[in-house]
Amino acid sequence: MPTPRLLVLFGSQTGTAQDVSERLGREARRRRLGCLVQALDSYPVVNLINEPLVIFVCATTGQGDPPDNMKNFWRFIFRKNLPSTSLCQMDFAVLGLGDSSYAKFNFVAKKLHRRLLQLGGSALLPMCLGDDQHELGPDAAIDPWLHDLWKKVLDLHPVPLDLGIIPTGIPLPSKFTLQFLEEAPVTHSEEQHVARTDPQDPPSELHPFLAPMVSNQRVTGPLHFQDVRLIEFDITGSGLSFTAGDVVLIQPKNIAPHVQQFCQLLGLDPDQCFTLQPREPGVPCPVQLPQPCSVRRLVSQYLDITSVPRRSFFELLACLSPHKLEREKLLEFSSAQGQEELCEYCSRPRRTVLEVLCDFPHTAGAIPPDYLLDLVPLIRPRAFSIASSLLAHPSRLQILVAVVQYQTRLKEHRRGLCSSWLASLDPEQGPVRVPLWVRPGSLTFPETPDTPVIMVGPGTGVAPFRATVQERVAQGQTRNFLFFGCRQRDQDFYWEPEWKELEKRGCLTLVTAFSREQEQKVYVQHRLRELGPLVWELLDHQGAYFYLAGNAKYLPVDVSEALMSIFQEEGGLSSPDAAAYLARLQRTLRFQTETWA
Amino acid sequence: MAEDVRGASVGHQVCSAAGMADFGISAGQFVAVIWDKSCPAEALKDLVDKLQALTGDEGHVSVENINQLLQSAHKESSFDIVLSGVIPGSSIVHSAEILAEVARILRPGGCLFLKEPVETAVVNNSKVRTASKLCSALTLSGLVEVKELQRESLSPEEMQSVQEHLGYHSDSLLSVQITGKKPNFEVGSSSQLKLSIAKKSSPSGKPAVDPAAAKLWTLSANDMEDDSVELIDSDDLLDPEDLKKPDPASLRAASCGEGKKRTACRNCTCGLAEELEKEKSRGQMSSQPKSACGNCYLGDAFRCASCPYLGMPAFKPGEKVLLSDSNLNDA
Repeated sequence: MPTPRLLVLFGSQTGTAQDVSERLGREARRRRLGCLVQALDSYPVVNLINEPLVIFVCATTGQGDPPDNMKNFWRFIFRKNLPSTSLCQMDFAVLGLGDSSYAKFNFVAKKLHRRLLQLGGSALLPMCLGDDQHELGPDAAIDPWLHDLWKKVLDLHPVPLDLGIIPTGIPLPSKFTLQFLEEAPVTHSEEQHVARTDPQDPPSELHPFLAPMVSNQRVTGPLHFQDVRLIEFDITGSGLSFTAGDVVLIQPKNIAPHVQQFCQLLGLDPDQCFTLQPREPGVPCPVQLPQPCSVRRLVSQYLDITSVPRRSFFELLACLSPHKLEREKLLEFSSAQGQEELCEYCSRPRRTVLEVLCDFPHTAGAIPPDYLLDLVPLIRPRAFSIASSLLAHPSRLQILVAVVQYQTRLKEHRRGLCSSWLASLDPEQGPVRVPLWVRPGSLTFPETPDTPVIMVGPGTGVAPFRATVQERVAQGQTRNFLFFGCRQRDQDFYWEPEWKELEKRGCLTLVTAFSREQEQKVYVQHRLRELGPLVWELLDHQGAYFYLAGNAKYLPVDVSEALMSIFQEEGGLSSPDAAAYLARLQRTLRFQTETWA
Repeated sequence: MAEDVRGASVGHQVCSAAGMADFGISAGQFVAVIWDKSCPAEALKDLVDKLQALTGDEGHVSVENINQLLQSAHKESSFDIVLSGVIPGSSIVHSAEILAEVARILRPGGCLFLKEPVETAVVNNSKVRTASKLCSALTLSGLVEVKELQRESLSPEEMQSVQEHLGYHSDSLLSVQITGKKPNFEVGSSSQLKLSIAKKSSPSGKPAVDPAAAKLWTLSANDMEDDSVELIDSDDLLDPEDLKKPDPASLRAASCGEGKKRTACRNCTCGLAEELEKEKSRGQMSSQPKSACGNCYLGDAFRCASCPYLGMPAFKPGEKVLLSDSNLNDA
């Protein structure tokens, strides 16, 4: 290889680790190092033993879990049969992204670092523990660490004297080039999708199913602060199949006024079509993008212009800015010293890409279209627990969606892209189709019939359990115990009539907690403790399975604490024994959680 | 059908070429035979049998497919003789990486015998080299005493093999047999000249991968789907230190300003954000704020902290913008 090569491998759930990895890639290129940036599960791990220099950038998500795009790697790297000298050729460094308000802070990075050492790798420097809880976010840890990393790397691979480092004000070549077509192609259609290689394949991210929306009803009372929708899709003929606990992924779009505003700011003609070409061979184009594509389609379906831009956005924009005042400000926002300012201006108020471009109109108007995919991240699909069972509603798929809307110091309300888009769709006004596909959930249910199942699902957390109960009842399993919590019985008691009906039929025991109906707050964990003897009886004597769904931050901790009190009070266990009992339930899959941020 | 033809001519050729003595193989030696898919299977087996007869029980004959050679990562200096492409009918072109690897696994003083089709005409192509280029390649890989032993024309079957396996056709091809020797002094990594591309030892002087370890890793990695493989418990890698929370003071930005304010989460959906907004706007309504810097129209990026227009989009200078209360009371 003519130039030494740095390999950056990442596991990213929300795109932050990927963004950091791409930053590493750019900094490497500025130092004249070849660099390959790839998701861990896309990299052929068989080659790892030959790699001399690897940086691992890994987020920790959920309950100390690795992100989806490194799950295969994670299962591989802990295999007992991997020899302890496998990675003796490797100098590595680990950069972790996490949130210290969680107990399992950066567990993925910590475990990976130690495992790589176990397998014979040499650490270039101690691991970096990026923390969302820091006022300045993960960059507070990353910036000084990168400084140290480059010192170490340049010791091994000094910048060639005749070349020197490419300074930060100069843009690196764009990843892609856009070739605009003279006329719109004859077969141009907004509905055109990448052709499926095999029509028998189930729908996927590459080939989503355009599901007709059947109904879209608000299910929270008029006095409730939040708009929560029960949305039903018709999935006839889709080849989609799912069981309780599975998850539907929905690919949202930007609304037309935003698309228009973006095109105006950048001086783009929405109707123009183009083809996309990577500059370097071997770099893949975004697979979902049809070729040729229209600007309108690119901006409405692929560019996440309502996302909150990261520091890398400002860095690139600074390079591209022809306007003195704006460029100065952009450079400030990209610098290490300017990170607090950037936090105040952008991250804290959740200012969007579009809003930032409005503040920098001269720069926006000068953005070369080639740089669009470097500048703006791609829209990511959103996951929802499927709230219905095919056994109760064949050919249908239901979800419960809380519309995300909140205020920061910006006058315009902040809105969730997917939930707002879904809420705006009205099937009664005309046919509405939504691109979606399914992926398996992480919950597994008992195989022996008559095993009781305890489910704790406050708020929208009840969605997967509604599917579970429907499915189990259809299969004749009636030992179902549901703990449901919400604010007020007449405001957000989802599916109340359905639960009552099942109770009458003896298929369900329902325990509710209405948090705001009395002076003090009553939550599901309080109800669990009140029914301690029953819970203990079910778990210890009847082999019950216990499930939890809802918010990742507090629910698992609160419920675990409640359970451990029950083990101590009802089972007479000591505190450490109670913890061990819970750990055992987890290991045997009799205590499972499905949580989201 | 082609195989039968090859088998017939090869059978004839092995008997006549013999040449075992030319390789200088004796009992107790370690010999490596390198082959690829252009080699007729019968002839390969024949050669190996003859070699084994010569090396006897004390020695060993290793058979390596050229595409596996690098991955096999043999111990350096472990072979006395390496034979490559010598089987009549084969058409192997030896890359620089392969030659360097052969140089590495030969013991000092050990010999390489290789046979390769070469071009005698002056042709601008990279598939088949001239004999002199081939000799240079051996020298570049660190071998000494490089010399051409013999050259002969290709049989029709060999021409066909070149066409099939190398995708090359020419009337001016010859088959040339070349030998080279690993220098008799052990110089470690510098036995490979810097110009060779394969397997440079890194500046930090890392040990070579143990071939057994490499094999295990490769086998495991080629079976990613297998869920039955036992895993270590990753929790065992952690210690109590890992569970400690960072000191809250360390989580603040360098310049703190006022004391810790009650702030809402980034994605607040509980209503605290709205409550805080209401509190703030109530405070602002009492005083009539004035612009301190005159940059109000530019947008939040350029406004100062006390700007009355903070939170609103940029506007044209002189444009009348009302700081209405209506926005503030939105649900």
